[in-house]
Amino acid sequence: MTRRTHPALSVWAWLVYAFLYLPILVVIVFSFNDSRFGATWAGFTTKWYGVLFARADVREAVVNTLSIAVLSTLVSTVLGTLVGLGLWRYSFKFRTGLSFLLVLPIVVPDVVMGVSLLMFYSFVRLGLERAGWTFDNGFWTVLLAHITFQISYVALTVRSRLAGYGRELEEAARDLGASSLKSFLYVVLPLATPGVLAGALLAFTLSLDDFVVTYFTSGSGFRTLPVLIYTNVKRGVTPDINALSALLVLVTVVAIIAANALLRPRRSRA
Amino acid sequence: MKRGALLGLLLLTACYRVEKPVPAEAASANPAPVARGDGKTLRVFIWSEYIDPEIVAAFEKENGVRVILDTYESNEAMLAKLQGGGAQYDLAVPSNYVVQTMARAGLLQPLDKSRLPNLKNVGTGFLSAGYDPGNRYSVPYQYAATGLAFNKSRYTPPRVSWELIFGPQDTLRFILLDDPREVVGAALKYLGFSANTTDVSQLRAARDLLRRTVAKRGFQGFDGGPGTRNKLLARQIDLGQIYVGDLLIATEEDENVQVALPQEGTTISMDTLVVLRRSPNPELAHRFIDYVLRPEVGAAISNYTYYATPNAAAQELLDDFLKEVPALNPPAEWLKNGKLDFIDELPAGRPQRLYDRIWTELKSR
Repeated sequence: MTRRTHPALSVWAWLVYAFLYLPILVVIVFSFNDSRFGATWAGFTTKWYGVLFARADVREAVVNTLSIAVLSTLVSTVLGTLVGLGLWRYSFKFRTGLSFLLVLPIVVPDVVMGVSLLMFYSFVRLGLERAGWTFDNGFWTVLLAHITFQISYVALTVRSRLAGYGRELEEAARDLGASSLKSFLYVVLPLATPGVLAGALLAFTLSLDDFVVTYFTSGSGFRTLPVLIYTNVKRGVTPDINALSALLVLVTVVAIIAANALLRPRRSRA
Repeated sequence: MKRGALLGLLLLTACYRVEKPVPAEAASANPAPVARGDGKTLRVFIWSEYIDPEIVAAFEKENGVRVILDTYESNEAMLAKLQGGGAQYDLAVPSNYVVQTMARAGLLQPLDKSRLPNLKNVGTGFLSAGYDPGNRYSVPYQYAATGLAFNKSRYTPPRVSWELIFGPQDTLRFILLDDPREVVGAALKYLGFSANTTDVSQLRAARDLLRRTVAKRGFQGFDGGPGTRNKLLARQIDLGQIYVGDLLIATEEDENVQVALPQEGTTISMDTLVVLRRSPNPELAHRFIDYVLRPEVGAAISNYTYYATPNAAAQELLDDFLKEVPALNPPAEWLKNGKLDFIDELPAGRPQRLYDRIWTELKSR
């Protein structure tokens, strides 16, 4: 017999959801508001979507944001997974030190990370200039910066996913004749997969909405969406940014529904 | 999986666009920038919404170049990025009280006046100001005094005075600017002192006054401008301390929203154009500054931003609406008799710490 939830608990849950989603709803509603300042409702319009699509800088920023997010997630998921597996499986001299280093990017304030990376890049540039080469900050410096902080998140997610397992399963597979590669591929990796996916998702999200680190490492002329939006707060964000946010929410919702439909385990009907 | 890692690594190592740098000239009075300038790209670091895109497009067309505008939201953020040496900008638009800081940090190059014939268009009162004697590094771009704004359909003040905010009565809902120099400065002006005072007893008086002010029931917090403007439009507050230009833009939507300069006097700050020392294209940067100093261009920028132009020759080309706003055109004697204080850089040391401490205390209530 299933227990009925207490009605008060349902009410509370709905309140929490409202608290989380109402602000987003307000943004979506105001993207159709015919007022430049969005202080009051001035009638329904879709003109901001037109304004948005006419803006080349927004288009460019969307492309930049997504390419950085996708690439950095791919790289950091691979590297982070390897680090997480290594920490789980082997004991070695600097294991504690490495664990500590992994936590650093998570606890260090963004500003410190952004400025230190910026100085590091400047330092490298100075060295390269002596050798007669140089580079500008931009896509690649931002990409490296994102990978730097994402690795930590992925590695820790993977490691905590595996924390409950000993090495017995892998050893059992070896006893049954699997090669080390096979036991890794068919035993360890499937166990870690939920952690890897969660880590990748986390990394992607972090990259998508990082402002501070990106602002400092982006050089000139390379802008992601968060940078474009945050640096506009001084004189007020224009309503076409609301339209953009509404579209982002829409894309996210569609993506989640699609992912759910694709990943739903097929249950055999008994 | 492995292949992906390899691919990623390959991508990472093949990434940097490497070029031979321009050989640096021997250090002279004007050290050569290290970066490569192609003479075809101008990179401007500027406040958001602070230049008419059409003006930029016209400059691009006229010179066959591309202009990249990057934005920042505060002087501090701009400084931090430039000091880290991460970006090859040609021009930046610092407020007047940051110019000397930037010069001392070695971020600026002296202007070549021979390339700026239009400098003669700037009103004499704005040339060679205290923040940059002889305009060695900077050219005035746009300025705004700080005013008190209200919405006539909610509340019309009998007279515009800081008294309404700092006085003993507590009947009005108000918002203050999210800026230490502006808020402390306003309190100092109300008390009859200079907004740049370094006198400890005067600063203490301002501190005590501000403590009482933020404890009022009508105090609705600090805001950088847009929030205050929106709350005035929505008739949710009576008064807001705001930069004149940030408020005027709202009159497009509601004629009843107005701004005026408090009678005790107020603060004013000038945003300036500077050429960065590491500018890849200093020649193009000068050309851009001279272009901005043309009367019709200066007027067009003001008509877009609603900030005042220091360009005397541009005054008559402004939209009629802007010509008629008293807050945008403070009386000339105000600049002379100390009613209107340019916010100056504070000397390092005790005064600066006092301002910081007052602000921290107010913000962390």
